Amino acid sequence: MTAPTTAAPRFSEALGAAPTPEAASAVRTHCPYCALQCAMTLTPVVPPVAGGPGRSPAGSGAPPVTVAPRAFPTNRGGLCQKGWTSATLLSVPDRLLVPQVRGADGALHDATWDAALDLIASRVTTLQAEHGRGAVAVFGGGGLTNEKAYALGKFARTVLRTPDIDYNGRFCMASAAAASNRSLGLDRGLPFPLADLSGTTHDGLAPGAQAVLLLGSNLAETMPPSVQHLEPARAAGGLVVVDPRRSATARLTDDGKGVHLQPVPGTDLVVLLALLHVVITEGLVDAEYVAARTTGFDDVRRSVAAWWPERAETVCGVPADELRRVARLLADASPARGGRGAYVLTGRGVEQSTQGTATVTAAIDLALCLGLVGRVGSGYGAVTGQGNGQGGREHGQKADQLPGYRKIDDPAARAHVAAVWGVDPDSIPGPGRPAVELLRSLGTPDGPRALLVHGSNLVVSAPDADRVVERLRSLDLLVVCDLVPSETALLADVVLPVTQWAEEEGTTTSLEGRVLRRRRAVDAPGEARSELWLLAELARRLGSDVAFPTDPAVVFDELARASAGGVADYSGLSHALLDAADPAEQADPVDASDPAGHGAAGLHWPVPDAHGPVTGTPRAFLDTFPTPDGRARLIAVDHVGPSDDLRPDAPVYLVTGRVLQHYQSGAQTHRVPELERIVPEPFVELHPVLGDRVGVADGETVELESARGTLRARARWTDRIRPDTVFVPFHWAGEGSVNRLTTDATDPVSKMPEFKVCAVAVRAVPAAAEGSR
Amino acid sequence: MTHGQRGQERRGGRRVVVVGNGMVGSRFAADLLAHAGQVPVEVVVLGDEEYAPYNRVLLSEVVAGKVDVTGLDLPEPDDPRVRTHRGAPVVAIDRAARCVLTGGTRPGAVAYDVLVLATGAAARVPDLPGLEPPVRRPGATRHAAEGPVLPAGVHGLRTLDDAREIVAATANARHAVVVGAGVLGLEVATGLARRGVGVTVLHGGRTLMDRQLAADAGHAVARTLAAQGVDVRTGARTRRVVVVDGRVRGVEVEVAGEDELEPVAADLLVLTAGTVARTEIACAAGLTVDRGVVVGDDLASPDDPDVYAIGDCAQPPEGGSGLIAQGWDQSRRLAATLAARFAGSSGAGSSGGGPSRGADAAAGSLTGSAGATSGATSGATSVGEGQRPVLGTDVVRVKATGLQVVAMGVCGARRAPDPAQRVVSLSDPDGGRYVEVVVEDGALVGATCVGSPDVGADLATLYTRRTPLPADPAQLLLRPVAPAAVAVTSPTHMPSRATVCHCNGVTKGDVVACWKDGARTVEDVARATRATTGCGGCKDVVCGLVDWLRADDARPAEPDQAPTAASPVPTV
Repeated sequence: MTAPTTAAPRFSEALGAAPTPEAASAVRTHCPYCALQCAMTLTPVVPPVAGGPGRSPAGSGAPPVTVAPRAFPTNRGGLCQKGWTSATLLSVPDRLLVPQVRGADGALHDATWDAALDLIASRVTTLQAEHGRGAVAVFGGGGLTNEKAYALGKFARTVLRTPDIDYNGRFCMASAAAASNRSLGLDRGLPFPLADLSGTTHDGLAPGAQAVLLLGSNLAETMPPSVQHLEPARAAGGLVVVDPRRSATARLTDDGKGVHLQPVPGTDLVVLLALLHVVITEGLVDAEYVAARTTGFDDVRRSVAAWWPERAETVCGVPADELRRVARLLADASPARGGRGAYVLTGRGVEQSTQGTATVTAAIDLALCLGLVGRVGSGYGAVTGQGNGQGGREHGQKADQLPGYRKIDDPAARAHVAAVWGVDPDSIPGPGRPAVELLRSLGTPDGPRALLVHGSNLVVSAPDADRVVERLRSLDLLVVCDLVPSETALLADVVLPVTQWAEEEGTTTSLEGRVLRRRRAVDAPGEARSELWLLAELARRLGSDVAFPTDPAVVFDELARASAGGVADYSGLSHALLDAADPAEQADPVDASDPAGHGAAGLHWPVPDAHGPVTGTPRAFLDTFPTPDGRARLIAVDHVGPSDDLRPDAPVYLVTGRVLQHYQSGAQTHRVPELERIVPEPFVELHPVLGDRVGVADGETVELESARGTLRARARWTDRIRPDTVFVPFHWAGEGSVNRLTTDATDPVSKMPEFKVCAVAVRAVPAAAEGSR
Repeated sequence: MTHGQRGQERRGGRRVVVVGNGMVGSRFAADLLAHAGQVPVEVVVLGDEEYAPYNRVLLSEVVAGKVDVTGLDLPEPDDPRVRTHRGAPVVAIDRAARCVLTGGTRPGAVAYDVLVLATGAAARVPDLPGLEPPVRRPGATRHAAEGPVLPAGVHGLRTLDDAREIVAATANARHAVVVGAGVLGLEVATGLARRGVGVTVLHGGRTLMDRQLAADAGHAVARTLAAQGVDVRTGARTRRVVVVDGRVRGVEVEVAGEDELEPVAADLLVLTAGTVARTEIACAAGLTVDRGVVVGDDLASPDDPDVYAIGDCAQPPEGGSGLIAQGWDQSRRLAATLAARFAGSSGAGSSGGGPSRGADAAAGSLTGSAGATSGATSGATSVGEGQRPVLGTDVVRVKATGLQVVAMGVCGARRAPDPAQRVVSLSDPDGGRYVEVVVEDGALVGATCVGSPDVGADLATLYTRRTPLPADPAQLLLRPVAPAAVAVTSPTHMPSRATVCHCNGVTKGDVVACWKDGARTVEDVARATRATTGCGGCKDVVCGLVDWLRADDARPAEPDQAPTAASPVPTV
C-alpha cells in the first residue's frame, strides 16, 4: 500500500457530509485536464492571509490546495486520478518562476520581464521590417482559456498582423469540426448535454440511450467519469465500440453489454460505409426524417451500394454478420423504429487520419439516415479531447477563423470583428497556414522566422517530431510560454512563465459546448503572469494602439461582443452571469436538493444576447440546421486507406493513443509522482503472436521503425490488440517518443495529421544495444 | 444517337468511349475523371440496359430477399465531361473509322479516340436438350448483346431483370432447381431456401464449389446447406431440361453409377453454371479473343493500342477471376494509365496517381465458375505502381445467410501439389467447419475458411495485407478464446496487485491496507484510496472486498490471506 502522496481527498463532501471548517474559502472550479472539465472544489491548505487567496509555495512540494470532486451533470461527483492529483501541479519543483533568455553561452538564463519582453519586441520588429508581417507566427493551444485564446488571435491579427496563427487543436478536433460544419452547419462537439446519454439531464426529456456507437474513443481511460453516462446503453446491450484494440472502453461491452468491433487500423470508414449499406438495403432508414430534414440521400445511397458487408469484411476484418448485427442494433434503438434513442460518437482514433473528415462525414450520414440528429435523446457528436478544445476553436486561434466561429475570409465577419477591435477591416490578414503546413514552413525561405508558442508542447505532440525539432531550431526567434520547462520550452530563445488553471480567472467551454467558469484559488508563484498581461505588454512595446484589457471578465465581455451573431454566439454571457448561477463562494457541498449539480450547470452556446432571461442551447438542431436551406447534408464519401500503408519492410500497423495517468505531452502529468509511479515510461503493446514471431518477449525492449524515425521502448504482450498492430501511447519525449514515427500527411479538408496509423517494422533490440539503453 | 462521326486518326485525342455501363464501366468513367484532374477528357458511356448502373454482386441478395433493389444503384458520374447513354447496345466496332455503332432504340455511330470494352459476361447456358434450340417468345425481339431467350421458369442471374423475374417466380414456385454449385449457385440456393422455396442443388463436380474449395471444405459446406433443408447433389450432371408448353417442368439428372436419368421436378430453374465473357463485337472487329478479350498487362489489346478491355469481358495475362475486385482494380489502373497518356500529350499536369492506396480485396462474386480462368490464378502478385494488379483481389467471399465461406489465393482446384508450400488445415465436418492455410516463404499465399467467421475475416486481412504470420501457422486456424476480464468473483483469489479501480490506480492491496488502517465502509475506502470515485464502475468490486474483509475479521483464527500477492488468478 502506498498512501496517496498528495492531499487527502474529501470525498465525503461530494457525498453530502457536513462541510469542514475551511469550506468557506473553498473555490469552485473545473479540472485542468481534459474536455470533460470535471467540477472540483479547491480548498487552500494555508488559511488565506488578510482575505487574499493563498500563495502557492512553489518548490515546497506541498500542494497549496486540496482537491475534491463536486457534483456536476457531466462528472456526477467523479474524478479520475489525474483530477484527484491535480493540486500537485501547483507545487511542481521545476515550475518556471521567472522569464528566461538564451544567452551567448547557449544556455537559458533568468531575466526580468522587462528585459525578456523588450528583447521579443525588438526581435519581432526587426524580423518583420526585414521579412514582412508574416515573418512572425503564433501557435496556440486547446488548453488556453477562452479569454486567452481570444486575446491571442486578436494579438496575431491586430498587433503582429500575421496570417500565420494556428493551434494544437488542429491535431485533435479539425476533422470533426470540418465534417460537422459541412454536414450540419455547426460544430459544437456534443450538440446535446452529455447527460442525455444517461437520461439524467435535469429537464428529464431524454430517456437514456438504448444504443451508443463509439468510434475511435477510449473514454474509459481518457475521461473516466464520463463512462457513467453509457450505463443505459450497456444495460440494453447497446454499447458498440469500434477500436483496433480491446481497450478499457471496448471491454465495457463484455458480458452482453454490447459489441466490440476490432477493425484493421485505418478502416473505420469501411465499417461505417458497411453499416450505412445495411441500413439502406434492409430498409432501416428513417425515410420521413430523411425526406424532411436532409438533402443528398440519393448520393449516399448509391455510394454505399458498393460496400456490402462481405466486401467490407475483407477490407476491415470485421465479420460481415457482425456488421449487420450492429446496423440492426442501432436501427432498433432509433426513434423511428420505436427505440429509446441512439448516439453516434467519434473520437481521435478515427479523426486523426488522412480520411478523418470523410470518416466523420460517414458517421454523420449514418446518424442522419437513422433520424438521430436534432432529436432529443439521440444524435451525433465528437468527443472533444483538450480541456478547452471546444472554446479554443471558436475564438480566433484557427488559421481561417475569427471569434464566434466566423470565417476569416467572410467580409461581413471581418467588418464585425474589426469594429469590436477598433481596426480597419482591411488590416486583418487573410487565412494562414494550418498547423502542419505552418510547422513545415518554419525557417524556410517563404516561412516564418519567429514563432510564439502558447500552451503547446510541439516537440512531443506534433507528428514527425524529429522534423519539428529541426524546424524549430532553424528559427531566428522561438518564444515559449509555459508552466514548466517543457521539451519545447527548452529549445526556446525566450521562455515566459505563465499562470495555470488554479491561478487564474476565466472560462472554458467543455465537450458539450457548456461555458464554465475557471476560478483562482491561489496566487501564481514567482513572477508567473497571465498571457493576457504579457500580450498587452508586448502590444504596447510593439507600438500598437489596439486595446488589450488584462481583466479576464473584461476580455470575456469583448469576446462576447466579437462573437455576437456568429455561429458560436456568446453575446448573452458574462462572468457575472455565469457566477450568478454558480456562486464562487457557495459553500461545499452543493444543495442537497440538487445532488447532480444542475444548479451550477453553466450554459450551452449559442447564448445570444436577448432581452429577458438568458438561456443557453443545450440541444442544437431540434428545429432546423444552420445551413442555407435549413437541412442537413448527406455527403457521399469513399474509403482510400492510410497514407503510409503496409509495405514489405514495414508490415505492421502502428496506432497511438493515451493512458489514463498521463495527459498530452506529459508536461504536467510526468511531474505528478503518483501518476508517474503507475506509468513511468512509454511501452509498446503487441500481441503475443507478433512478439513470438519477431522474437520480442514480454518486458523486453522492442524497436519500431517507420519511414521517419525509430523508437525503443519496453514490449507489453497483450491479446487485447490485433496481431497486425502495435500500440504506443504518445505522452513521452526522447527515444520512446512515438510521434517521431507518425506521419505528418494531412487530411485534405481539415488539414489534420494522420497520427493514428502508419506502417512500422517491429524488431528485437540486440542485447548489446539494449545494454546502452 | 447524336454523336456525329468525328475526324479519323486524331491521335492524341481524348474522347474515351466506354462500352458497358455496368459495375466496371461506370466505375471506370468516374475513376478516369478523378485521375485526369485538370486534363481535359471526354467520356461517353454506352450501356445496353435501360437502368442506371447497379450492383450486380448483390443480385443474389435480392433473390434472398435481404436487400431492396433500391439499394443496388451505383453512383453515376455527375460531370459535364461524361455523357451516359442507356439502352444503347453497341453492335459493332469499326476500328478503321475509329467508331462504334449502336443498335437498339438508339442506332448511330460514336467516334472514339480510345475504346474501353467493359461488356461483362453473360450467364452460361448449358448445351442441354430443352434449352436448345433457343425458344423465342412470340413477339420478342433481341439484339446481339442479349443472351439467349429461355423457356419460362428458366433464368440466369446476371441482370436486375433476372433477379426480379426469379423473385416473382418464387411467389408460386413449389420447387426450384439450381444448376451449378459455385459461389453464385450457393448464394441463390440459400436465398431461395430463405424464401421458403424447396431447393435442389445439382452440381456436376464431386464436391461443392470445387473450384475454390478442397473436398473437405466442400463437405463442410454441404453439411451446412443440408441443415438448412437444401437438397444437395454432387456428381450430378444435368442432362435434359423438361419443358412443356414453353414452361419448365423439371430436369433429368445423370447420377454416377446409375444407368437411368433421374427426374427432378421443378417449376423454377436457375442456371448458375458459370459465365461467358461477352466478346461478340470484339471478335467481329478482329480483336484476339480467347475466353475473353485478350489484353496485356497494360489492359490493351495486342491488336490495337487504342482498344482496352476491363472487367469480366477481359482476359488479362493472369486470367480473369470473375470477381469485381479484379475489375475495379483494372478500372483504377487503366484510368491512371490513360490520365498519364493524356497529360503527357497535352503537357498539362494530371492529378497524379489518384486514389490507389489500400488493399481492397472486394470479394464480390459474379460467377460460380468464371469462364475466363485457365489454370492457377496467382493471388500473390506483388503490388506495383501503375500497371500491376493490386494483390489480394482474388478473395472469394460467399454471401449466404447461415453459411460462411471465404477462399483466397492458392485454394481448391487452384492448389496443385507444390513442395515449396506448406498446407495446414483444420477439418471439422460435423461442425460444418474447415480452415486451411497455405504458407510459402513465410507468407500466406492462400486460405480457405468455412464456418468460422472471425477466422475468415482475419485470414482475408492477413492475406491482402501480407502482415506477419505467427511463428506456427497452425495458430491461424483458431481464434484463441479471449480471456475473461480479471476474475473478480472471489476477493479471496484476487492477487493483491490486481487493480480494482482503474480510474485511480487502486489495487486490492491498497484496499486491504486501508482496511487495516481502520477503514470499515466503502465510503471510508473511497476517502482513503479514491477507489470508486472515478467512473464508479468498480463499486461492486470494492463492496465485495469490504464484505470479504469484514467476514475475514469475524474469523480471527484464520491466517491473513490478503497479501499472497503473486498467486495467479485461477480460471473460473
